[in-house]
Amino acid sequence: MRLPVLLAALVAVATCTETFVGHQVLRVVPQSHEELQKVQELQDLEHLQLDFWLAPRGLGLPVDIRVPFPSVQAVKAHLEASGVSYSIMIEDVQALLDEEQVEMLRSSRQLPLDTDTFNYEAYHTIDEIYNFMDMLVAENPNLVSKLEIGRSTENRPLYVLKFSTGGTNRPAIWIDTGIHSREWVTQASGVWFAKKIVQDHANNEGVASILKTMDIFLEIVTNPDGFAFTHTTNRLWRKTRSKHSGSICVGVDPNRNWDAGFGEAGASGNPCTETYQGPYPNSEPEVKSIVDFVKSHGNIKAFVSIHSYSQLLLYPYGYTTTPAPDQQELHEVSAKAVAALSSLYGTQYKYGSIITTIYRASGTTVDWTYNQGIKYSFTFELRDTGRYGFLLPAKQILPTAEETWLALKVIMEHARDNAY
Amino acid sequence: IPESGHKYYLQFSTEDYRTGEDAGNCLATVLYPKKKSPPVVSIKCSHTKDQKKIQEEDNALYQRIRHQSKPITGNNIPDSHGNIEPALEPVWALAVAGSSSIMWEKSTETLAYFLAQVKSVRQWMRKDDFTEFDYTVLLHEIPTQEIISCHLRLTWLPGHPLKVKHFCAPQSHAMDEGSGAEAGSAAGPPAGKGATF
Repeated sequence: MRLPVLLAALVAVATCTETFVGHQVLRVVPQSHEELQKVQELQDLEHLQLDFWLAPRGLGLPVDIRVPFPSVQAVKAHLEASGVSYSIMIEDVQALLDEEQVEMLRSSRQLPLDTDTFNYEAYHTIDEIYNFMDMLVAENPNLVSKLEIGRSTENRPLYVLKFSTGGTNRPAIWIDTGIHSREWVTQASGVWFAKKIVQDHANNEGVASILKTMDIFLEIVTNPDGFAFTHTTNRLWRKTRSKHSGSICVGVDPNRNWDAGFGEAGASGNPCTETYQGPYPNSEPEVKSIVDFVKSHGNIKAFVSIHSYSQLLLYPYGYTTTPAPDQQELHEVSAKAVAALSSLYGTQYKYGSIITTIYRASGTTVDWTYNQGIKYSFTFELRDTGRYGFLLPAKQILPTAEETWLALKVIMEHARDNAY
Repeated sequence: IPESGHKYYLQFSTEDYRTGEDAGNCLATVLYPKKKSPPVVSIKCSHTKDQKKIQEEDNALYQRIRHQSKPITGNNIPDSHGNIEPALEPVWALAVAGSSSIMWEKSTETLAYFLAQVKSVRQWMRKDDFTEFDYTVLLHEIPTQEIISCHLRLTWLPGHPLKVKHFCAPQSHAMDEGSGAEAGSAAGPPAGKGATF
């Protein structure tokens, strides 16, 4: 009934041909023949430009009339003078249309048709991100594939996107985001990175040259149980959602659960704390699956684990003050990467080893990967420096992802050009 | 400094929390005595912002709060997506200021804080000109990564220092059989006390 009119109004609004500011929709329910007649008379008064959403049909049946603003007073006066009661169904049609527009945009965000209509400037749920990954693979079957490297404690699949132009077990770069679930800008950036890699490849620019000789592995939702929990229950949840016997507390810090300085100072043995290392190294399936993957792949040359916030680029070690043997080179690469990052929006980053730049931390991801022989092991802490912290406004997702990408490219190119 | 403690020399710049505008530079020394007690701080700052402008902005903020017809209430500021409703910005700004008082008291040589989120706010209407708010704020503690919940009671009138009372929930790190090494139990007196600055 009023749907076609509303759609027409919407089209008109979208094409800026008509506005409905101040238009009201009045409802009259004629109770007598006189009232019915009075309403029917209105239909003949063309100059009023009335739009009957529900035409007069009979006694006791509602009549809905959209009244343009200039006619509102006249129509109400006519009805009141005739003793016909009416109610105002819609006080301002334009306001309703504006609301509808917003809703339509919002709902189109919930069901993107492809990775081009996907909204990279918003935070998404785990289902939306998993759906995005499937779409990306479907659109680029010759470049992207999805690997399941394991299952989380709550049995969610752990997916890694593989970007490869061929070859067999090429030297590879690993990037993970979202290992700490509350660090939402990282998963959001991971989604953007995935699309960016595909775009660069299609346009034969950026990382296209890297893909000629190397593969890229990207795990976007590294801690899916935690991520789901941040959506349903506690936005500031950090750890996994495992329960280990002997404690009522839930979760292990996945960045203290690796087998590098495990259990030493820089983690907590208390299950109820945020830096709980877990009962033993790799107790968390989210961690073990990556360990297994890295070991069986055997040819990963650069490993980047992404966190927020603090605006830092870090390299090993966190569990010891002993400098990493490649400290000098890692420091130089970090300087270049940070310079590239800052060049885009002026965002300031500090860099250095974990222990000297942020704090002592044991059992961390990149300390383990470095000790495995992956020389170019880095951890990022993305925006910001504390004003919004974990709750970074969605409008900063894009600039954060864009600037971080420049730093990642420096690392990837260095790995490509310095084979070992 | 042998026998005395650790002394830090700091040089830093400040910026307006809302706009990011440069707000001046500061030079400070912070001495953490060997015996754990509050640090000794000396600080000198240059102000790039004109006092009159600050007063104007304070008054504008105050008016925005006073003009509300009902007591202001809110939850989750910013929300999960980092949004702050424009109507709640003044209330958030006051929470930032009030929380900094909590952080000033709680910080140590090894523990730092950031305001993670304003979990809830409720305004108490007063007969006088002061504005009064009750907050639950969540502080992010570094390096432990813990989220500390604090209750904050704040009164304010432009031209007067912010009056702050706070109480932070003791960390309930329930002990289990296996973890003897880490302390972190809830034993000890409550951490709250009144504070004005």
